[in-house]
Amino acid sequence: MKTHYLLSNNYKVIGWVILILGLLTGIVFYKTILDGELLQTNVLVLYNSDSLFDSNNGFFKIIENGILDEIVAILIIVGGLMVGFSKEKIEDEFIFQLRKTSLVWAIIFNYIVLMFAIVLVYNMTFFEVLIFNMFTPLLFFIIRFNFLKYKSRNYDE
Amino acid sequence: MTNKIKVHRAIHNLTQADLANKIGVSRQTINAMEKNKYVPSTVLALKLSKVFNVSVHDIFELEEID
Repeated sequence: MKTHYLLSNNYKVIGWVILILGLLTGIVFYKTILDGELLQTNVLVLYNSDSLFDSNNGFFKIIENGILDEIVAILIIVGGLMVGFSKEKIEDEFIFQLRKTSLVWAIIFNYIVLMFAIVLVYNMTFFEVLIFNMFTPLLFFIIRFNFLKYKSRNYDE
Repeated sequence: MTNKIKVHRAIHNLTQADLANKIGVSRQTINAMEKNKYVPSTVLALKLSKVFNVSVHDIFELEEID
């Protein structure tokens, strides 16, 4: 099965390490990350204003910002992409199908969950839901894909 | 769609792993096909017919619902 967007199988293990590191750091420092006070650094921002659509010119500023949340987010995304999109040991058309159906499943499931959250969760708690929602499509995909792989291993002779 | 992969595999005295090696897929794929959980592509179907030395129609059969 020829696929051009998949990484080699070697990245799978590294991906898991990065993903788990990101998730653990995120969970352990969750409260402090929300306050944004850890690892204060000057950062370059592309755009910084009260809203994306107000009239102030907020392009290219230097601001002070706790960057632990950025680090955690990048770790989870990079790790998640590596886990989800590196080849299996034998990458054939059946695995390709499992990957594809898991992706579709993850997107639909994610938006159903989000719809419930939109209606049932408000204010800052909803903001936290949005934070999780940055990662849940990828995480649901990884969980579903590995579950289907595990199941296919188990309907044995 | 039904298939007789298991029967042909027995005739040729191949394990799932042997057959998987011959056509370049994982053993899980052979297993999923035999359990009717996965319908192979035309390419894979033709590879199977080559290994078993029979026509694709001898391995795969359409059902009423297809």
